[in-house]
Amino acid sequence: MTAWQRIKANLRVVFMAFEIELRQSFTDAFVLFGIIVQPTIVAFMALWMLKDQVANYAIFVVVGSAMTGLWTTLLFQGGNSITGERWTGTLEPLSCAPAPLRAVVSGKLLANITQSLLSLICCYTFISLIMGLPLTIANPGLFAGSIVLTVVAFIAFGLIIGSLFILNPDVQRFQNGLEFVVYIFSGFLFPIALLPMWTTPFSYILTPYWAARALHAASSGTGSDGEIYFCWAMLIVFSILYAIVSKFLFKSILRKAREDATLNMQ
Amino acid sequence: MSAIEVINLQREFQTTIGVFNRKKKIVPAVKGISFEIAGGELFGLLGPNGAGKTTSVKMLTTLLIPTGGTAKILGLDIVNDAEAVRPRIGFIFGGERGLYWRLNATDNLRYFASLYYLDPAVSKKRIPYLLEMVGLTDRADEKVEGYSRGMRQRLHIARALLHDPEVLFLDEPTMGLDPVGARELRQTVRNLQDEKKTILLTTHYMFEADALCQRVAVINKGEIVAMDTPSKLKDSVNDLSVVEIEVFGIPPETVEKIKTLSMVENVSVEDRDQLQLLLVHTSKGAEAIPLLISELNGLKLGKVTTREPTLEDAYVRLVGGE
Ligand SMILES: Nc1ncnc2c1ncn2[C@@H]1O[C@H](COP(=O)(O)OP(=O)(O)OP(=O)(O)O)[C@@H](O)[C@H]1O
Ligand SMILES: [Mg+2]
Repeated sequence: MTAWQRIKANLRVVFMAFEIELRQSFTDAFVLFGIIVQPTIVAFMALWMLKDQVANYAIFVVVGSAMTGLWTTLLFQGGNSITGERWTGTLEPLSCAPAPLRAVVSGKLLANITQSLLSLICCYTFISLIMGLPLTIANPGLFAGSIVLTVVAFIAFGLIIGSLFILNPDVQRFQNGLEFVVYIFSGFLFPIALLPMWTTPFSYILTPYWAARALHAASSGTGSDGEIYFCWAMLIVFSILYAIVSKFLFKSILRKAREDATLNMQ
Repeated sequence: MSAIEVINLQREFQTTIGVFNRKKKIVPAVKGISFEIAGGELFGLLGPNGAGKTTSVKMLTTLLIPTGGTAKILGLDIVNDAEAVRPRIGFIFGGERGLYWRLNATDNLRYFASLYYLDPAVSKKRIPYLLEMVGLTDRADEKVEGYSRGMRQRLHIARALLHDPEVLFLDEPTMGLDPVGARELRQTVRNLQDEKKTILLTTHYMFEADALCQRVAVINKGEIVAMDTPSKLKDSVNDLSVVEIEVFGIPPETVEKIKTLSMVENVSVEDRDQLQLLLVHTSKGAEAIPLLISELNGLKLGKVTTREPTLEDAYVRLVGGE
């Protein structure tokens, strides 16, 4: 197989995994609750509390809480879907097929994230319409671009997290901790300037931080175009970096799992 | 060159025991097995529960890394060349796990076709062909959760064959199937052999190994205790004959007592409806009957027969009864 054919074949795996994950979640009542009912309630409460605030504060909170939702979905749904494969006995055939497991996990993450993103956008739009509280995006073009890069960056980040779930089912215990750490250090809901100085470098290496900054700046109009482009550049650089790191991480973690016999439930 | 070459393959597992005072314990599952399988051969790995069959197959299919020894599939090392091995082998593990129950058969196969880098144009033809072969065409659009065990097992086979691998590993393919389903599955295995595939099959049914395999290795407690053609294995018990006695309510002490008799090699008891079937391996043949009956003194007996040993008896002798 030539390099180009391999890339094409791997992309096919990503889209198959995407399709399979979606098909499965549309028959899962729990997931449906998570993408329709819960965001609707959260969006309603957020907007109701914000209805007397100035418009660009409202959009800050909406974007921030949407990102929190996105991150939670990625961490829980993405992580649990790997643990789920372990329980159904499908993690073994997935890990020992010719296609890289990274392609499968990317497809799953893409499915989780697009599902969550679409549901968030629909819920907020719908609720803001029925409440007569318009949500205005200061810079729609840059906002849309930021969303696309956010999806890419979250997937790259999810690959790093996902590899930990392959390593060992016990990683689930740290899920809640990870959830808060990332959304505090990424500045989803309040600026990282409020955190101690020494934590700043940690935020800088998190792709969700650059995603939050780009999305906040583009939606509330609080940042210049230049700042947004800078965030985009950082998103791209770190996503590539994560992708490269994840390649090595998957390799060593899959080997470890085959040594420790953790690919199947015990 | 042999299709599969296994040299002193070993695998240990580390388990923890105890909840509070956790201790590590090493379980040796496979203790250095060696064998070779020729291209196109159907080879059986036969052994009781916990013998190490699945562990061996998992090592050979690159799912587990051995803790000792080596193995080569089509000349490729299972650890160092694992990536080159994978596209050339297919495997199924008996049972119902390993499928997506909320998807239908076609989607299960489409997914794995992409994972095995099948060209979409190829898989468009290959999937219906395989579904037809395993007799799932009519039910292909139904979710796997509604399938019977046999149907799931057949779907497993279709999945293993997607990329038309040269070497197949079938770990207890008839596990949990009814007699008709098991017979159909054995026919499928035979057809695969006609296509010149190299097959390693594990089972704990002696007659299955006898009916299908050209050679059989008997594995017990992680070690190979015999390896030969089924007929040679049968020959190895030619010196024995089997006395079968129907008896009503035999106490365990009597069984133990019979075990100690010098002319008796092995004793097992099978439960039938109201009676038990006492199976005694002996070198004395019919001559042993009077002595056995005197040991059963006072118990109500049914039919008493002697027969030639079967492969099953050879197996019992090798793995030590029960
Ligand atoms: N992941 C594991 N962790 C710890 N011990 C294991 C693990 N897998 C298998 N074992 C142990 O290794 C031994 C061999 O198990 P294996 O599953 O290979 O046997 P088997 O011959 O396939 O048995 P069966 O006929 O019941 O399927 C058993 O004692 C089993 O408990
Ligand atoms: Mg087994």
